[in-house]
Amino acid sequence: MRVSVDGKNCCGHARCWTVAKEFYGVDDIGYSIHRGKTVDVPPELEKAARLGARACPDRAITIIED
Amino acid sequence: MTDNTTADKAPSVEELKARFGRDIFNDFDYDDPRFNEQFTDVLEEHLAHCPVARSNVGTGFWWVSRNDDVRRLAQDWETFSSAKGYMPNRPEGLPFLYPEESDPPRHTAWRTVLNPHLSPVTVANYEKSIADDTHELIDRFIGNGGCEFITEFGSILPGWAFFKNILGVPIEDLAMLVDGVEMGTFAPPEERQVHMGKVFAYLENYLKERAKLPPRGDMVDTILKGVKYEDGSEAPWEHKVSVLVDITFGGIATTTYVMASAIKHMAENPADRDFLAANPDAMAQAVEEFARAYPPIVGIGRSCTRDVEVAGTKMKEGDYVMLAYSASSRDPRAVENATTVNIHRETVPHNTFGAGPHRCIGSNLARLEIRIVLQEWLKRIPKFSIKPGTEAVYITGFLRSMRQLDIVW
Repeated sequence: MRVSVDGKNCCGHARCWTVAKEFYGVDDIGYSIHRGKTVDVPPELEKAARLGARACPDRAITIIED
Repeated sequence: MTDNTTADKAPSVEELKARFGRDIFNDFDYDDPRFNEQFTDVLEEHLAHCPVARSNVGTGFWWVSRNDDVRRLAQDWETFSSAKGYMPNRPEGLPFLYPEESDPPRHTAWRTVLNPHLSPVTVANYEKSIADDTHELIDRFIGNGGCEFITEFGSILPGWAFFKNILGVPIEDLAMLVDGVEMGTFAPPEERQVHMGKVFAYLENYLKERAKLPPRGDMVDTILKGVKYEDGSEAPWEHKVSVLVDITFGGIATTTYVMASAIKHMAENPADRDFLAANPDAMAQAVEEFARAYPPIVGIGRSCTRDVEVAGTKMKEGDYVMLAYSASSRDPRAVENATTVNIHRETVPHNTFGAGPHRCIGSNLARLEIRIVLQEWLKRIPKFSIKPGTEAVYITGFLRSMRQLDIVW
């Protein structure tokens, strides 16, 4: 599984990190460290990745199932 | 998520008039006192049957309610611009608030330098200050067995948190400033300008005074330093003052409303209150649900830069559109059991802090404030209820707020 964070629409709500710190991170100003990127998800963190994606008010996170 | 919201037939104009006193689909007015009384009913009716309502107030505007539409409009700043102001029927000549009433790249230039001062990491430094303020205010009334939450707590704390920690104004000026913002927001409309003007004058003077002092590395210094605009010019003095005013007015009354609503909810729902008292770690997620369920911003505006169709309505270039964030957070298409306040939700995506580039810059501070206040409150006053014989008093316009909440313990 991979996760893609929209570079334009990630606007720093930091909800992904708040509900799923084990997978999501935010930078010094509260924007996703994966902003504008697509990253791999380790199998044990798939549930966390999905939870964080659901938490985004801007729907900036897309889950890409393999 | 099944869309069972349009399964029933849309009401007729006669039915709307009977129920709401007006045709809320084609003749909406958020200043109508009936809206204050029937707030959630109106939002739900729009969500079910009227994705784009029309208001004829002044030169008129569209009112968009559904989560998908609101989110797309908030993100599509190229089509839905903030540069003509966040309010419809703007008085001619009124200076624009920066950066709120601007678009990228100018908006981005300001947000880039301002964001660090309100980041999750930065605001975490204010936890103790906010906790101390909470206890100082509670100390004043805890022996009385009750309080009027708004005047004795809710309208004071957000101002203290902001003015002390973010702006660093002298303590002795706090009371006047908090009062000025309160009156500037809630006095009778014809009196508000006077109070706003006083706060504006204070802030401009404060900026001038701070410019003479050594820098502290805070938001005020950042504003003083300014930014370079897309045309190469430096942000003028007037814009710097405007930014300070914008940030000041954004986060005080709004935070008061969510805080007061949470207290009211806990007063009326002892199971939730007792659960949160016993499980303080659950407060952060509860705060998210309180923010969703009790939105202080009812709707906020944009201006169409081109002809565009939204949910079947053809809008023209120059049309004013309002994003009903209060409704979009209750859209059953986006939130399960949207009308229920459920503090145990696993995720709570909502639009109380907006969406897109104008996402509320103070959202991290607001969340922290509300969480700390509620956690500390429950340590001191774990059981409380609404004073018998009283009811909460609300006012509603483009902002919704509570003006009176009597509680007892």
